[in-house]
Amino acid sequence: MKKSLLTLVALAALMALLCLYIGGGSVEAAKPAAKVSKTSCAACHPELSAVVPKGHPPVKGSDIAACLGCHKPDASGKADKNKVSTGLHRAHVGEGGKLDCMSCHTWKPGKSFGLQGQKVSFGSPTKDELEVMKKVFASWKSSGYTDSLHNKANIVCGGCHGSAMAKEGDTVENSRCLECHGPMEKLAKKSEPQDFPDRNPHKSHLGEIACTVCHKGHAESKTYCLECHKLFKMKKIPGGSASQ
Amino acid sequence: MKKEDVNQKGISRRSVLKGAAAVGAMASLGGLAMNLASPGSAGAAVRQLPKKWDEAIDVVVVGSGFAGLAAAAEAAGEGSKVVILEKMPTYGGNSIINGGAWNSWDDKFHLRKKLNLGDDSWELFKQDTLKGGDFYNYPELVEVMVKSAPEATNLLMDEGVKVRETLPRMGGHSAYRTFMAAEGVGRGITEPMKRVAEKRGAKIRLGTQVSWIWRKDADSPVLGVEVTKDKKKSNIRIKRALILASGGFSRDVKMRMVFNPSLGPEYNCTNQPGATGEMIRYAQAIGADAIQLAFIQLYPCAEPETGMLDTPAVYPYTGTGYGLIYVNKAGKRFVSELERRDVVSMAQIKSGSKPTYSILNDEVFKKLVVPKEELEKGIAKGRIIKADTLAELAGKLGIPADALQETVGRHNKLLGEGKDLDFNKPLTKNMIPLVNGPFYGIAQWPSIHHCMGGLRINTSAQVIDIWGNPIPRLYAAGEVCGGVQGSNRLGGNATTDCVVFGRIAGTNAGKEKSL
Repeated sequence: MKKSLLTLVALAALMALLCLYIGGGSVEAAKPAAKVSKTSCAACHPELSAVVPKGHPPVKGSDIAACLGCHKPDASGKADKNKVSTGLHRAHVGEGGKLDCMSCHTWKPGKSFGLQGQKVSFGSPTKDELEVMKKVFASWKSSGYTDSLHNKANIVCGGCHGSAMAKEGDTVENSRCLECHGPMEKLAKKSEPQDFPDRNPHKSHLGEIACTVCHKGHAESKTYCLECHKLFKMKKIPGGSASQ
Repeated sequence: MKKEDVNQKGISRRSVLKGAAAVGAMASLGGLAMNLASPGSAGAAVRQLPKKWDEAIDVVVVGSGFAGLAAAAEAAGEGSKVVILEKMPTYGGNSIINGGAWNSWDDKFHLRKKLNLGDDSWELFKQDTLKGGDFYNYPELVEVMVKSAPEATNLLMDEGVKVRETLPRMGGHSAYRTFMAAEGVGRGITEPMKRVAEKRGAKIRLGTQVSWIWRKDADSPVLGVEVTKDKKKSNIRIKRALILASGGFSRDVKMRMVFNPSLGPEYNCTNQPGATGEMIRYAQAIGADAIQLAFIQLYPCAEPETGMLDTPAVYPYTGTGYGLIYVNKAGKRFVSELERRDVVSMAQIKSGSKPTYSILNDEVFKKLVVPKEELEKGIAKGRIIKADTLAELAGKLGIPADALQETVGRHNKLLGEGKDLDFNKPLTKNMIPLVNGPFYGIAQWPSIHHCMGGLRINTSAQVIDIWGNPIPRLYAAGEVCGGVQGSNRLGGNATTDCVVFGRIAGTNAGKEKSL
């Protein structure tokens, strides 16, 4: 009897420690509450209203459903900003983010990937694919590459990749980029070098090429022209290395 | 296919290749056979055919330059499902950045006659090409190229390629026969060709590298290819044929030094970065013969610092037939401007100082129908130096004024007399004496440009194996092949070669019976 009591106390202490760990330093220290499930926001945010932006109406509830009542999940894959999804992912994923995807999402490996309490499914990632996605989210959060520049602009995966969950090796078509960044003439105007206007990556002798030749989503972007034209003075490419 | 010669010599072709594909059978005979899969790669000794194919395609074309596009268009025209595999992230290879020039002894508009530029014939074109290649060319291949040149020219025009109203005579040619795309660059040719190929249903897959050719044994046809995209490998079964149109290896320093150790990394190169020749090795690994690989050409007039063949680097080569001259830093001529590329290149290297210069005037630019805007761009970038007088030009180029004036004066005089006593250049009445300004100077220096050698083909564009027999269902066209250009390719012959043999390869591939 005594032994089991000791075990219980030890377990409780461990739980408390764990919760503290999950909470990290930036969120309020969690109080070990009796009815808090591992998928509850309240495990780390006892007051959800305290973590939403200023001026946001009070939040009722203790899990993702509290948000989704008003912020309907969007699986349309529009090339739009999505502040709620971006904000939630930015705060919780990748390097420094301590939460498992399953705190908000539901997942049947290879079958579905949705949101708790919602019928929506965004795709059917396998275990490996989900691991890749976690790495990509870490990149999106802080890499300095094109992905993290889109994070800053409140664009999450679907903003570029559309409604289907992106997989390794997927690309983004020019038309998609140009929905927000186009037309090409506008980009050409922006990238026009000061010395010789015809040395323009957006208006080159190669004709229309894929944006992704230079602009890499989850890797360092590089101006392809410089592969051959080593002496050209090109404008710095966003998401590229400091030296280029 | 004739197998007798092989068996007579007592060599089993199978013994070489069998190990690469059919290990099981060999193993029972005790041990593995020699294997040509790349050493060190996992499983090299037991490289086995794929157990399953990821997809099946009628005709696979490797490379998306002139030859690949021409082949794809013809094969698709025969009703085949055609996929072009291009390892680079953009299409077009060297073709899209080339000078936009090709040779033909006639065309449906008879441009040469219209411009009153003398006579030409397929026989003369053939003779020039053979002579320019020191007769290392396979005459039957040259004959196919020259005889088909007008048809290829008319086809390009029908497909929407626009040409300038000029017909330069370039080094090694004894006639005015070089057509120039209006854009002044190869894109003016590749874009219409791509449109036609795609309209007929051919699909281009960019960033997709062939990493192996599958063939069961030395009697087997090509069965498929292994492709690598984003580091992932997959296998394509080929139902009709594989066409290699993957270009040369000028950009692979190691490979070119194997065949010509003097062409080290200190040489610049005009090519796109993808010209690395690995398809030649993959073809060799399944038994293909490769010939004359040591013949690697320098383009004499590239931009001296970077070695690029930019737009201003085209004029020094196309302007020769209209009276442009070459001088060294001492202001002296050093070679007949109508010499072949190898001769001009070596003459420059031996001239004692880098760079050398092309000297021309406005009238030559007019003969070349160079648009004003194009000329002004070259001047703005400092690639073309302009001056009102020869003395002023000499000053700007840093060469002695009196020497340049004397050289130009003497050349003008020789033009008048009709005989080049100094370098024995064949003078014509179409060469303009450089009397009237403004004058122009363009700096130039040789840069590695074209691989004449490559896979051995026959007149049907079939790849020939090391025993002299065609490899079933394997075709090749363009710079990846050897034998068409001999030891030295004449300017403008590459595009003609690519279009002519690309079309032959595509037509024949499309006619193969589906497996």
